[in-house]
Amino acid sequence: MIKAVGLTKQLKNGKFLLNNISFEVVKGEFVGILGASGAGKTLTLKSLIGLLELTSGEVWVEETSNQHINIYQTKTSILKKLRSKIALIFQGYHLVQRATTLENVLMGRLGSVSTWRTLFFGFNENEKKEALIALERVNMQSFATTRVNALSGGEKQRVAIARALFQQPRLLLADEPISNLDPKNAKIIMALLKELSNFFPVIGVFHQPELCAKYCTRIIAIKEGKLYYDGEPNLDEKTLEDIYGEELSSILT
Amino acid sequence: MIKKAFPIFFLLLTIMVTYYAMILTDFKLNTLKKGLHDSYFFIEQMFPPSWEDFKDLWNPALETVALALLGTFLGTILSLIIAFFGASNLTNKWVKQIVRSLISVERSIPELFILLILIAAYGLGALSAVLALMIGCIGMLGKLFADAIEETPVSVIESLKAAGASKVQIIYFGILPDLFPKLISYSLFRFEINIRLSVLLGAIGAGGIGYELDYAFSMLQFHRALSCLIVVLVLVIAIEQISLYIRKKLSISQL
Repeated sequence: MIKAVGLTKQLKNGKFLLNNISFEVVKGEFVGILGASGAGKTLTLKSLIGLLELTSGEVWVEETSNQHINIYQTKTSILKKLRSKIALIFQGYHLVQRATTLENVLMGRLGSVSTWRTLFFGFNENEKKEALIALERVNMQSFATTRVNALSGGEKQRVAIARALFQQPRLLLADEPISNLDPKNAKIIMALLKELSNFFPVIGVFHQPELCAKYCTRIIAIKEGKLYYDGEPNLDEKTLEDIYGEELSSILT
Repeated sequence: MIKKAFPIFFLLLTIMVTYYAMILTDFKLNTLKKGLHDSYFFIEQMFPPSWEDFKDLWNPALETVALALLGTFLGTILSLIIAFFGASNLTNKWVKQIVRSLISVERSIPELFILLILIAAYGLGALSAVLALMIGCIGMLGKLFADAIEETPVSVIESLKAAGASKVQIIYFGILPDLFPKLISYSLFRFEINIRLSVLLGAIGAGGIGYELDYAFSMLQFHRALSCLIVVLVLVIAIEQISLYIRKKLSISQL
């Protein structure tokens, strides 16, 4: 579970990038964040993991079943531990290109293993086995020894998800995970994310309202830094027009 | 009209500057002519090379290669460590600025000068030469490595940081694999340069083939000197070719 309370980011010139955004996401939910370019989607996502310095606001993350921690008011050592339990997926460009698929998946757990052990002994057989299982879940096990730079965009994104899975997260955040994929691969990734939301909350930033309507369980729309809509994934034409304005025609293809 | 006059103006300026430089350096065409004649006489004296000396030159040649190899190896490691502090995606901008300017300062100091300082500290010998070659690497390799590290996308570093990885882990797992081909390729290129430098430093007293060459000249053993020159030539060309071959292979495997 993750709970954002009054996320606000104000620039020195008084302009609001985020303006009092609050929501709560629980297990079983696959939340799609929609909004026009520059509305504050990615900033909202980044603030959920503490990568953005907020003007005010709180982000509560579950540490144990009944204990919650505000990640903006905790020690860095605890923050690091919390982060190792939050998986983050970008557009697939965050993988190490010359390392193999398996090695990239193993990197998901660097936060929970000591630096010296990873440097001198690498990962043990057990961890490698688990990483292979994670690759199997995204149907990439046959590429385990392939270097990432030899993979296609869709395959890279699946490896990124396998890394996130291997991290054994309590929360999965995805920043435009399907933006550079063809429609077929986009659907595969969306179906995977939906399946994963049965185990932990999944929050993603998307540019595709039709796909979100099909796969997400809930939509959060942000307009000019404000929470504009929070609810059912099926948005009617009028709401979409309000969210995207002039951009709408370029998004509905 | 004015535009057309520009090339003529620059031509005249170049001639004037060149003329002034000739006066400054006491450069006279007559001396050049006489010198050409003398050097022809000198080179004639050197032929033929003394063939029986080649077997004595085997060891000094190896010594020169060893100097360059050790200097480049240590220099690569040192430059890599420094480069991590000079890459903007790993350190804050103040540390980066300071490290980068130190690298530039090193680049502007000739290796010969570094050797002279080191000789004052460690005495004449191989150690000083290795250290001079090692320090000499920093200016070039430090900059090239730091630039290569900066090519690593921020998202790679951010995603590992988000997974809770420490800085050492980020470098080891996230940056080194992608850096590896460039690391090898740049170091080999520096090794080629260091071979030539180590001949030169050898002549000053670090030993090796450079020392043999200098010694032969000062003892007026011109045939032996020519043998040394041939060894240097073969050495430099051979190592350049090997290095070129490996670097070509690497750049292909990078695709």
